Amino acid sequence: MGVHEIEDAKLIFNFGYNGADSHPIVQRRIVRAKQKGATIICADPRVTEAARIADVHLQLKGGTNIALVNAMCNVIYNEGLVDQHFIDTMSVDYDAFVEIIKKYTPEYAETICKVPAELIRKAARMYAKAPSAMILYGMGVCQFGQAVDVVKALGSLALMTGNYGKPASGIGPVRGQNNVQGACDMGALPNNYPGYQNVTNPDVQAKFEKAWGVKLSNKVGVPLTHVPQRVLEEKDPAKKLHAYYIFGEDPAQSDPDVAEIRETLEKLDFVIVQDIFMNKTAEFADVILPSTSWNEHDGVYSCCDRGFQRIRKVVEPPSTVKTDWEIICEISTAMGYKMKYKNTEEIWNELIDLCPNFAGATYEKIEKYGCIQWPCRSKDMNDKGTVFLHNGKFATADGKGKFYTAEWRPPQELENEEYPLSFSTVREVGHYSVRTMTGNCRMLRNLEDEPGWIQMNPADCEKLHIKHGDLVKVMNKRGWCITRCNATERVAKGATYMTYQWWIGCCNELTIGSNLDPVSNTPEYKYCNCRVEKIDDQAAAWDYVNNEYKDLRSRMGIKMIGEEA
Amino acid sequence: MATKQVQTTCAYCGAGCQIMFTVDTDKNKIVNAVPAKGRTNDGTLCLKGHYGWDFINDPQILTKRITKPMIRKGGKKSALTEVSWDEAIKYVADRLTAIKKEYGPDSIMCTGSARGPGNEANYIMQKFARACIGTNNVDHCARV
Repeated sequence: MGVHEIEDAKLIFNFGYNGADSHPIVQRRIVRAKQKGATIICADPRVTEAARIADVHLQLKGGTNIALVNAMCNVIYNEGLVDQHFIDTMSVDYDAFVEIIKKYTPEYAETICKVPAELIRKAARMYAKAPSAMILYGMGVCQFGQAVDVVKALGSLALMTGNYGKPASGIGPVRGQNNVQGACDMGALPNNYPGYQNVTNPDVQAKFEKAWGVKLSNKVGVPLTHVPQRVLEEKDPAKKLHAYYIFGEDPAQSDPDVAEIRETLEKLDFVIVQDIFMNKTAEFADVILPSTSWNEHDGVYSCCDRGFQRIRKVVEPPSTVKTDWEIICEISTAMGYKMKYKNTEEIWNELIDLCPNFAGATYEKIEKYGCIQWPCRSKDMNDKGTVFLHNGKFATADGKGKFYTAEWRPPQELENEEYPLSFSTVREVGHYSVRTMTGNCRMLRNLEDEPGWIQMNPADCEKLHIKHGDLVKVMNKRGWCITRCNATERVAKGATYMTYQWWIGCCNELTIGSNLDPVSNTPEYKYCNCRVEKIDDQAAAWDYVNNEYKDLRSRMGIKMIGEEA
Repeated sequence: MATKQVQTTCAYCGAGCQIMFTVDTDKNKIVNAVPAKGRTNDGTLCLKGHYGWDFINDPQILTKRITKPMIRKGGKKSALTEVSWDEAIKYVADRLTAIKKEYGPDSIMCTGSARGPGNEANYIMQKFARACIGTNNVDHCARV
């Protein structure tokens, strides 16, 4: 599907996705769909903007996604609302799927999700009866220990109602970072070469060996989220990591359980940071390589719906920095494997010829049409790419969609007596990711600044004798931070949320790094426990925050006014 | 003031909005950003699209732009020393070569970047990991 299709949807099932904060321009399409008469179902533990315009808001408890999806499938199955012809002709494994969903009656799901059974029935009927329905999901699905199961279950919900291969239907992840689709497309993945070609496939390996003129490994590599374990705990010397080349990322701010990340970075023999700004990770680097930023180099990004679009050099970079690809090529050449390119187009031409799904997406075509959604297999100017990925048949070996769901597994770390609240990370509307870019934009800094906020239900605040705006201490067994209390009815009692952008109010001091989804290796950023403590001496707490900020800025290389430049 | 206009793709989320920048070419500075008509954004931008380019001016609010290669010459936790590109590249190449020789190619981990660098830089990084180092240890923050 494409982003532009959203506004023509008849029904949008918005699941664990808060577009208003993470992708305002996508949210705008959802609002427009509503204006055009679409029905909106929103599943989210918070009263997000999407929840406010929803016809039905399923305010489930965090960490219970699959129980809710299974229950909706259960209603659709039991009430005969399925598209039997589509199931018979276009899918496999329906019976095994039905065996699991049978148990998930709305009444049973209510005990897990805390959503009234009648509301689950209502949403399921609305979804099944819509002429076409589109599912949009976000990090509220992906950032759990049980994540891929939920994506497949949502896929099965669409499958049992025949919601594929027609306009404004199907299931779409709305991906977070601007070029996360692109990094995957390009094979910055431990199991895939560019174009999703598996490293264990001998034919693929032979193709890349021939193109690159070197013997390649067929052993799947280490996922990013396994790095701490491979450094701190690995006993097998053959598996232990010794060097880490970090490029355009700040794991000491962005990864879960940052205390463990700091220990990891300290233990590594050699850490390379290649970036545009000093950051928390660079404090542990043995070497720092300065590169060009967005707007200082050319290239291609892939947006969330597989669209290749050009990025262009807008201003000249500082004379002493180099583009990322030039730096890497120079290191490679110095190590004896020569890499040399004139420009990004030459790199692009090499890679599209190695990837059948990208082969037709030339710079010329991207320039001419503005955007090419892959697959685009032919260089013929008439091949303008593919809007629907599952058009007519599924992109699986037998051309059929595969039913799948699983039993609900609770999150790893639940609330307890010592840490009675749940804790989840969310996004800030005016800031991005680790904030090195937006935190250095004067206009955006004026919107929101350190030490961020923790969203809490007013009843919980009252119990703790804290009020909106107070500095509070948030902690669990992994770490703590100081932030401001945001008392809001938008969150349920017992649940707390912190945006991910703050360096002092750093939520990743608390998040859990050990409960990864077994397939995607994504950490459980959306669930752990915490305790919030009142701070009696607010003035001292503000002094602490201000001193921390000052110290942080000085560690990041900023000379304070009055100091020598 | 000599100006030029350049259209590009926003770097702040997966929506892929198109932005038109006006640049003062004498001063090499962005003057403003307005929405361009793209397939996904249809002539609109959010806050980050409108105002998220000021970091290029390095106003040093949160952190400072890095402009020179730097090495900790005195080992871990020592101060960073600015060095020439030749020295930095040689230092990285020598250290990685030594680690590869001692512990094997799978002892080295590389990241891609899901943020500003772009597809070509990611292609080059994974090619470096696979063809030069000899490992599939390359991943990025898709999971975080």
